[in-house]
Amino acid sequence: MRLPALRSLVRVARWPGLLLLSCALLACDSTTAPDKVHVEFWTMSLKPKFTAYFNTLLSSYQASHPGVALEWVDVPWDVMQTKLTAAIVARSAPALVQLNVPWAYDYSLVGALRPIDDLMGEDRALYTDGAIADLTFNGKLYGFPHYNSVNVMAYNTALFRQAGITKVPTTREEQLAVAKQIRARTGQYGFSPALGKIAGVFLEEGLPLIEHNRAVFNSPAHVALVAKLADAYKAGGLLKDKLFSEDNYPASIDAYKSGRMAMLEAPPSALTRVRDDAPDVYAVTDVAPVPIGGPGIAAGGWLFHFAMPRDTTGRVALEAAEFAKFLTNDENQLAFAKLAGAFPTSKKAAADPHFQNMPMDTGAYGKAMAIGAKSMNIVRTLYVAGVPGFERLNKRLQDAVESAIIGRRDIQAALDDAVAFWNSKLSP
Amino acid sequence: MSVDSARIAVPEPRGAPAGRAPDERARPEAMSGPRARQARQAWLFLAPALVLLAVFTFWPVLWGSILAFTEYKIITPPTWVGLQNFEDLLDDPVFYISIRNSLLYLLIVPAIQLGAIALAVLVNNNLPGIKLFRAAFYMPVVTSVSVVGIMWGWMYNEQGLINAVLQWLHLINDPIGWLSDDRLALFSLMLVTLWRGLGWYMVLYLAALQSIPKDVEEAAVLDGANRWQRFWRVTIPMIMPTILLCTVLSTLSAMKVLEEVLIMTKGGPVSSTYTGLYYAYDQGIRAFNFPRALAASMVVSVFCIAIAWLNFRFLRPRHR
Repeated sequence: MRLPALRSLVRVARWPGLLLLSCALLACDSTTAPDKVHVEFWTMSLKPKFTAYFNTLLSSYQASHPGVALEWVDVPWDVMQTKLTAAIVARSAPALVQLNVPWAYDYSLVGALRPIDDLMGEDRALYTDGAIADLTFNGKLYGFPHYNSVNVMAYNTALFRQAGITKVPTTREEQLAVAKQIRARTGQYGFSPALGKIAGVFLEEGLPLIEHNRAVFNSPAHVALVAKLADAYKAGGLLKDKLFSEDNYPASIDAYKSGRMAMLEAPPSALTRVRDDAPDVYAVTDVAPVPIGGPGIAAGGWLFHFAMPRDTTGRVALEAAEFAKFLTNDENQLAFAKLAGAFPTSKKAAADPHFQNMPMDTGAYGKAMAIGAKSMNIVRTLYVAGVPGFERLNKRLQDAVESAIIGRRDIQAALDDAVAFWNSKLSP
Repeated sequence: MSVDSARIAVPEPRGAPAGRAPDERARPEAMSGPRARQARQAWLFLAPALVLLAVFTFWPVLWGSILAFTEYKIITPPTWVGLQNFEDLLDDPVFYISIRNSLLYLLIVPAIQLGAIALAVLVNNNLPGIKLFRAAFYMPVVTSVSVVGIMWGWMYNEQGLINAVLQWLHLINDPIGWLSDDRLALFSLMLVTLWRGLGWYMVLYLAALQSIPKDVEEAAVLDGANRWQRFWRVTIPMIMPTILLCTVLSTLSAMKVLEEVLIMTKGGPVSSTYTGLYYAYDQGIRAFNFPRALAASMVVSVFCIAIAWLNFRFLRPRHR
């Protein structure tokens, strides 16, 4: 290139270039002082409802830990996996990340999280046994338990009365029968089971998916359960909107709030939305325990915790662990659980009178919290562990059950095909 | 269908590219002096864009293509497994459904092209308030796909606007599960794509219509051609390059449809709305099976290339 051309280019590029250089220099000048440890942590869809709670905690922690610079990032739950995966691959993951149990299990399988046994130490005794068990994968602990959830069953007494139902269902079978009766007599839907997580539905009923490394979900008991679901679906007893979605909760609560659905299986916090958005429906809402399945496990266990991505090491890991213990200590868990309508996972907070002696006459929400608290000792996060390539196998099971329930395929044939596929992939 | 890809497209040049010597054979000898300097300057100005393309497009495509032949977890180095990931695809019925749905999605291409031409002809008239109509038809293009997805999700709901209107008109008794019926869901998504894409292609056709010289139309009028004959014999041939461009773009967008599925159905019910690219997304982002996602993407790319080639083969104007 001739010199004049280069000169003209330099002249043109001079100011943007200087600007870029300035930006780069400014970017290098991090707000974190060199002697401070930067601890970034991600939460899942907690802003803006819990912004004040976290800001108070952060201020208090930083005041007592001047050597730590905390950075809180709230990530919407539906993009959490995408962002976290990208961050882990790019080695820019946060020091702590809030996850649910199945996601943590998946990440632990590929080595994207680090075990925290060494960092937890004796403090593991502070948390409930169920929470520690939920977060122990292949003998190693992978998270600091935060809060848990358990479902209750809210039901619309007006629709029950209109349908002539006097007994609240206590088993899944009774609930499906009630759903059909509701549809037949009121024209509204009965309820919306979480059929997008069919593996969990089977497990709640005590029906195993695998025994002795062979798929067994085509047994008569499995077929009978799917047949009952198909029967209720055909009779119009199940809400069709998002019925097979992985997350059917928004559609369910909308249907319940609008009086189109008689029963809502949800955490107690859902009742506050009904109370605020549909006071007329809330006024006729009563609450009962969710129908308990075969193994006596309460549905809806969904433990959140703080996990550590694999690249959290050294002093950052130590400071992050201390901060995680602060976030999940008795006092802070109790405050958060009260605020969120959730249930704590620290033993002391779970034993607090707020949960154990909750009056049953404080409206549907209070009753839901009281019932939920009583179910906490039988709640576990149900998911299938230790099956390589589970996503693909689960997809085949999911499609088989969906096609059977909506009547596209014979139930036994659909489950037989899915079992054959599973067994061809499971090692002998 | 994504219209983003369309936004960077440039219509086919009508004449020889600027700067090219009339006699191509003389070019090597002619590359000296001012012309060589001009070429170097051109490359210099192209360089930033080329560097960005190399880093953010060519390299990911190349590396992704290599990874499709490996076993790769996010934290372990990839190991070569040959065609194993492609064999796994052939073993998965959902992948067949996905490719079938992507091909079915091509049904909207003629609909979107005919609709866009009709709209362009309509808004090409000098009628009072026509700018308002143009803006209204273009509105879906500038609306976020998330907003579009949520809005149509409400309208398709069993208690949504569409069912309410149909019931009010006594055309149906029970609400239709537009997105919950596995026989209808894909077509419901196609309608959303059609609605989103019409405005974009309308603008392209409008530009093409307005570039037709008036004297050609006037000559046809003098020759006694009626309105219909003028449309078929003058307008359509004159906008044929734009038709080719729009058809290729909409075909590729239809093959690569993702957002509508992701926001509105997530592939369900019963995998009836899986498309090729959604399958790749699902495998990569949800199941962490990146090699199979990349293998699926490669298969979709092969289909895209083949279909684009067919478009060029049959739609390229033979006479200018």
